[in-house]
Amino acid sequence: MTSPETSESERPSGVARTLVITAAVLAVLLLGAAIGLLVKLPGSTSSAAPASGSVDVGFCQDMAVHHLQGIQMANIARDRSTDPDIRQLAFDIASTQLEQVGRMKGWLMMWNEHEQSPDGVYMAWMNDAGIHGHGATTATPGQPLMPGMATTEELTKLRGLSGRDLEVYFLQLMIRHHVGGAPMAEYAARQAGQPFVRTLADNMLKSQTSELDVMKDYLAKRGAAPLP
Amino acid sequence: MTSGKKTKATRNSVAAARSSVVASKPKPWGTIIAVIAVLGLAGGVFGYAFTQIQANNAKEAALAKWKPSDTNKDPSTQLAGIVIKDYKGSRHVEPTQRVAYDQTPAFGGPHDSQWADCTGVVYDKAVRTENMVHGLEHGAVWIAYNPDQVKDDALNKLKARAEGQPYTMLSPFPGLDKPISLQSWGHQLKVDNADDERIDQFISSLRRNPNTYPEVGASCENSQFLSNPAPFVAEKPGPDAVPMDGGKDDSATEGQQGQPSTPPTSGSGSTPPSS
Repeated sequence: MTSPETSESERPSGVARTLVITAAVLAVLLLGAAIGLLVKLPGSTSSAAPASGSVDVGFCQDMAVHHLQGIQMANIARDRSTDPDIRQLAFDIASTQLEQVGRMKGWLMMWNEHEQSPDGVYMAWMNDAGIHGHGATTATPGQPLMPGMATTEELTKLRGLSGRDLEVYFLQLMIRHHVGGAPMAEYAARQAGQPFVRTLADNMLKSQTSELDVMKDYLAKRGAAPLP
Repeated sequence: MTSGKKTKATRNSVAAARSSVVASKPKPWGTIIAVIAVLGLAGGVFGYAFTQIQANNAKEAALAKWKPSDTNKDPSTQLAGIVIKDYKGSRHVEPTQRVAYDQTPAFGGPHDSQWADCTGVVYDKAVRTENMVHGLEHGAVWIAYNPDQVKDDALNKLKARAEGQPYTMLSPFPGLDKPISLQSWGHQLKVDNADDERIDQFISSLRRNPNTYPEVGASCENSQFLSNPAPFVAEKPGPDAVPMDGGKDDSATEGQQGQPSTPPTSGSGSTPPSS
């Protein structure tokens, strides 16, 4: 292709060629770098450890806090109730959720993240308004930290009850607790980057749905209705 | 392919047959525009990603400063005014016994077998130190305040950091030498007001930091204690108080900072007290 060129045109075309080749190499490098960055964008689901504020981290932190209160309520019911059904249900809830908390905290430790929100802001990771317009909550004295959670006052009341009153109030609080936590699990089951986080969230949804049926049944047997 | 070639008018007549075709060919604007477009796109993507990563890194760095990690095991060492002591996981004392603590409020040493419930509890009345210290051993942060100096708004700000937040407890501490004192196992920071940014930095650095408390995984629940908290004892401990070294042959003495060991005396600590 270059053979017919004369000596007259050789010098400028040599410089031009160098320029063109340099530009081409740079362009290819830039393209490669850009593609590489696209693949490794922060928050990208393919990176090994999810970033702070990601769905994976936020879900594990906030669901662990939500679960811990469920465990607390179940332990109160198991300590104070004499009803075998209630005690069995309470054991099931407490041991299952404690095991799940352990999984989530183990992952958080691997990711070098806090076990729970360090600044009292919850559910900030559920920011895709298209799915559930929940938005973040900030800790306020006297208010539940997250939907479904009991206040300090309600927990104190639960600790003071016994017999049928205890059973009914425990069921009412736990039904509300399960229902309130479901949107978090639904969100994470769809949006989390790590497959094992999505699997756990999905499992929570399924097992809690069947637990809800059991608790509603127990509540009806005791002639009571869920909290409004 | 041929777009880069500068085949200008200085062509030799020898190649006339071919040049007649080439010379009449217009500048390859389409190719040039396409190349510029691709380069522009690549530049845009690169620039966007670069700024995103920069911003993200800056944010992460600011957060990471107070976040325990493999490379930053105890971020609280960067806090101005922090007091750090290396306490081992310690022996238990009876409800009737006192411990001659070496710090006020105490943040390590022998303690009651009943831990103060630390499931995000706001204690309205002052609580016995021997129980609070056991809560610290389970990874909690204890916010103590002087009830004569911290009230209303300031107290609400402290409550917002404690109430309902797992592994956190708040209680008045009569006679406290500063308005607010923060404790976690082996760590203490005293501050003058509830707006001090070091409060959140202390919590971020130390609450359930697996590198700084002895019993990783221990529970904060103790509903028995919560129903009837042991009250604060104002008198100084007498000569019969348990000394800081436990008073006995404390043979289990490994426990170094950054390498929490499981103290043999704490076996009963992980069992719910009610069972």
